[in-house]
Amino acid sequence: MALSLPPGLTHAEVSFLAEMEMVTVVPRQRLDSIDLLSVSNLFPHPTSRHDFFFFFFFSFFLFFPKLTFPFLSFQGRTPPLRPPHRTDLPLWLALLLKKQRRANIVPPAWLHPASLSEIVHRETKENPTAFSEPPPAPSRADLRNPGRAHRQQQQGNTETATGAALLSPPFRASCTADAPAGYLPYHWLEVAESLLAFAGDDCAALGSAGEIRGLLRDLVEVRAAKMRDSTKTLGAEEGSAGGVVSLRGVGAMELAENRGFVLGVVDGVRRIGASAEATRREEEENGGGGGGGYGAGRGGDDEEDSDEDMGI
Amino acid sequence: MDIDDILREVDPTFHAIPQEKQDLQDLTRAWIAERSAPELLPWPADGLFERINGNIKAQIEKVEEMTGDMDPRTNFALIVIQTELERYKYLVRSYLRARIAKIDRHTLHYLSTDNLRSRLSEMELAYATRHQALLHNHYLSSFLSSFPPQLQNLNDAAGINMVEAPDLDAAVFIRLLKDIFVEGRGVDSDVTMDGRESDIVILRWSDAKPLVEAGSAELV
Repeated sequence: MALSLPPGLTHAEVSFLAEMEMVTVVPRQRLDSIDLLSVSNLFPHPTSRHDFFFFFFFSFFLFFPKLTFPFLSFQGRTPPLRPPHRTDLPLWLALLLKKQRRANIVPPAWLHPASLSEIVHRETKENPTAFSEPPPAPSRADLRNPGRAHRQQQQGNTETATGAALLSPPFRASCTADAPAGYLPYHWLEVAESLLAFAGDDCAALGSAGEIRGLLRDLVEVRAAKMRDSTKTLGAEEGSAGGVVSLRGVGAMELAENRGFVLGVVDGVRRIGASAEATRREEEENGGGGGGGYGAGRGGDDEEDSDEDMGI
Repeated sequence: MDIDDILREVDPTFHAIPQEKQDLQDLTRAWIAERSAPELLPWPADGLFERINGNIKAQIEKVEEMTGDMDPRTNFALIVIQTELERYKYLVRSYLRARIAKIDRHTLHYLSTDNLRSRLSEMELAYATRHQALLHNHYLSSFLSSFPPQLQNLNDAAGINMVEAPDLDAAVFIRLLKDIFVEGRGVDSDVTMDGRESDIVILRWSDAKPLVEAGSAELV
């Protein structure tokens, strides 16, 4: 077999993805810019104005030889590291620097015990059925309308018409020092785990590792219970077998864990109800002429499904 | 790259995503989608893979050049470059393997119509055709030749279709990339949901497909 993994991302693949999340580091050594395939941080961290000019001239010199190799100009490069200026780097690179004691990682604000316990409170008391909200897209001041800011992602929405695509996790900066507190990003569990495991001394600035771990444990449990409860709306209960179920705010690892079970339930319900669904569609088709063509097109699918059931 | 590009980079009104980051986002999205979708998705048309392969090749050449250098300073840079290269190559490899696994499972289905054929890249099409021919010849020489001639085909559509197709109604998880209405068919009722950006939704692949193709949702 070319690939023997089941459909859907596995745990290892999810943590691989989580290592692409950007985190903020404080370098302890100078390190020149490294040419990489994808890492690109053309805008240095806003806190360091010197970096900006340094980078401007630096990039000018770097671009110069590129004129002779236009091919290479697609490549990205890490920003030059100069202590003590903060820089955003992908997690895998930050962990590598951390292991070699070349940098310290600034833990994101949502990992603070106060933020975590607020989320636990929200998940258990305020909204005991839904997951807490995902982080909002970062805002940026709008230079054309002074005094107004807008979400970057929404600006992206309007740009899709002109070809610019949207970024989604892990490429949204939801784990950097700028990330807002009180929201769990998509890769929250994986990032929190690796930060606690490999950058424990940096996380100690937030609070005791035991406390953070305890709160994370609480979150994992309360959210796992919600995930299990969501199967009730997946069609296992009478009269709720709708086609769309929203799990807003769920995390990547939670999805990977429950993917087999949840999708199995949905597919199972569909198989069991295939004949009922086919009759319902036929009735709708006969009853209302409005969606006739639509129903007829779908009718064929359902017949195929019931054939499959008989085969099984 | 001239002075205009450099000036544009330092212009804060210019938020465009750099090409290399966009490529990585596209590759990652394509990989996740291919790993999660029940059927083969179209091969990216905008030269994404040519670009990525070119970049990887250039990067490997650079690694080869740098390996000769014994300076301990560049040594660390080399480690970083190689780590990143391996991560990138893993994504490409896993993506291609996921596609080949799907092609292997339903070869005749993907070769049956021009529309389905157009989803395969040239290499994949050559592979699928050759693989299927080899397989059919092998079957012919080992047992099919002793069957009556009218039963020797592998793609009889009369009666029950012999060509197996992937289950397009299998459930998938998608993330909405913009605020949009989501229609889904269910067993007891059909639902239309007023979806918001970054909602994670479970629905049938056949309902999710138009959203994913329009770029308003991605598989997770």
